Amino acid sequence: MSRPDWIVLALTLLGMIAYGLYKGRASKDLEGYFLSNRSVPWYMVLLGIMGTQASAVTFLSAPGQAYTDGMRFVQYYFGLPLAMVVLCISFVPVFHRLKVFTAYEYLEQRFDLKTRAFTSFLFLVQRGLSTGISIAAPSIILSSLLGWNILWTNIFMGGLLIIYTVMGGAKAVAYTQQLQMIIIFGGMTIAGYLVIHRLPAGVGWADILHTGGKAGKLNIITTGFRGKSFDWNDKYNLVSGVIGGFFLALSYFGTDQSQVGRYLTARSLTESRIGLLLNGLVKVPMQFLILLLGVMVFTFYQYNREPIFFNQAELKVLEHSKYKDSLALVTSQYEAVEKERLGAPGGDAAIRAQRVVAMQKEKEGYKSTIRRWLNDVGEDSNDTNYIFLRFVTDYLPKGLVGLLIAVIFLAAWGSIAATLNSLSSCTIIDFHKRFSPRTLSVEKEYRLSRLYTLFWGVFCVAVAQLAYNIGNSLIEAVNVLGSLFYGVILGIFLVAFYRKRIGGHAVFISAVIVEIAVVILTVLSRKGIVPLSFLWFNVVGALGVIVLSEILQSFMKIRRLRNR
Amino acid sequence: MDEERAPLFNKWSYWYALVIGFLIVCIVLFYLLTKHFS
Repeated sequence: MSRPDWIVLALTLLGMIAYGLYKGRASKDLEGYFLSNRSVPWYMVLLGIMGTQASAVTFLSAPGQAYTDGMRFVQYYFGLPLAMVVLCISFVPVFHRLKVFTAYEYLEQRFDLKTRAFTSFLFLVQRGLSTGISIAAPSIILSSLLGWNILWTNIFMGGLLIIYTVMGGAKAVAYTQQLQMIIIFGGMTIAGYLVIHRLPAGVGWADILHTGGKAGKLNIITTGFRGKSFDWNDKYNLVSGVIGGFFLALSYFGTDQSQVGRYLTARSLTESRIGLLLNGLVKVPMQFLILLLGVMVFTFYQYNREPIFFNQAELKVLEHSKYKDSLALVTSQYEAVEKERLGAPGGDAAIRAQRVVAMQKEKEGYKSTIRRWLNDVGEDSNDTNYIFLRFVTDYLPKGLVGLLIAVIFLAAWGSIAATLNSLSSCTIIDFHKRFSPRTLSVEKEYRLSRLYTLFWGVFCVAVAQLAYNIGNSLIEAVNVLGSLFYGVILGIFLVAFYRKRIGGHAVFISAVIVEIAVVILTVLSRKGIVPLSFLWFNVVGALGVIVLSEILQSFMKIRRLRNR
Repeated sequence: MDEERAPLFNKWSYWYALVIGFLIVCIVLFYLLTKHFS
């Protein structure tokens, strides 16, 4: 990175910390620290919800996903708007009416203490680990591409935000998320404009769509059917997106404290609902545009030299392996194809697009050879997450590279800050205060809350450092980890809201049994014994708890009647 | 509190219909885009 890039990056990050400290001055009690005194307007709720969901990987990985696999990833979000509607009807009014700090507080009122503690514990485990992995994932990408030290990258990615999150609590989180989202949208818009600006004269939207379409990148809607049978292992299609995505979004937004904590800060029920519903309106188009950026970058590389592998660090590993000579041969053959392709005359968009497809197949052959070799030497063969950032560092002007790197950091900060705040609130509200025999003073509660925030911040950075060895499969690890617990937690909440006859014992036993079953199912799925994509685990977990608790409740009722 | 009036449309059900309707429009547009450029 050049000096202007470093200056832009440093000023943006330091400015964000200063802004968080300045805006985060709240009343020194739990209501102020965790809920911003329930005073946040709807637009900050909206930006908070979006900023919490959109991590660094969202902006790093999604364009690369469209580049390699096409835009079908957008279907993953089709269940989200439906979930927003259900939340506004069922979950949010109850949380507001009971004036809870955490979603799990409600479970004690509805069921019992053990169900509340169990659910909150599942959340703490899942969120604590997955946040650590969420810090590691972009850190690995940045350190690999820019040659940064992984420990320092982890500390900057997950550590600096601890300063304003500890000091300012939910208020600092809300205000910084607002500014972060503005900078992120601004940065991505400029990046999109520059991709088009850097295309040859006369090449425009028609070419982008034709080229993307012919190369299979505009596969926005896919059914998931292969012949007459449905592929349950297919991650992104219309059916899994609407059904699996609905359950995932419902559990994430309705039962994950990092999200519940955002809309509980709203000044009224109406402001919470508007924030959530507008999220339902803007999320799908926003994700579509981020993926379209990937197709635009793909088109850009049809007119410019495309690297055989975007992650240069991995190519360097191959250069020092047994494949050294083979790599030199394949690279020269690949470069010959690139030279021929770029030297070929133009023509109309459709003809050019057909030519792109033909040469793309040949290039793909060389790329898959590289991936095979990397797998063989035990290296990371997934290039998807490096595509967009490599384009940024290679082709964007000085200063703007720093801004785009800052966008990656800010996206991570927004998500992590909200999570640390929620982890701390659950620790003190659901455990410390609930189980402590002594009554704590307001001042002591406030100081403890800050200490817990600090603890979770350090914990997550430590997990990130330990997770470094997992490599690029980290993103998948976050998804799998979430799917392990989300379904069961959602099932508990759905029983709480919709099955009034079911009591605490039945739902608690069901949740424990189904959680064990989901873990076993995940292991079987990972080993290829059960062909089921991770999105369906949420459905299995939620429905499993509902059905089993119904059966157990009936069984308990019969036993009670017999005992009389 | 559940009976708080919705802004713009007065009824929350209209908001819900808007969100679901917009999703359907998006899916139809995406389908047409997929078909046209495949």
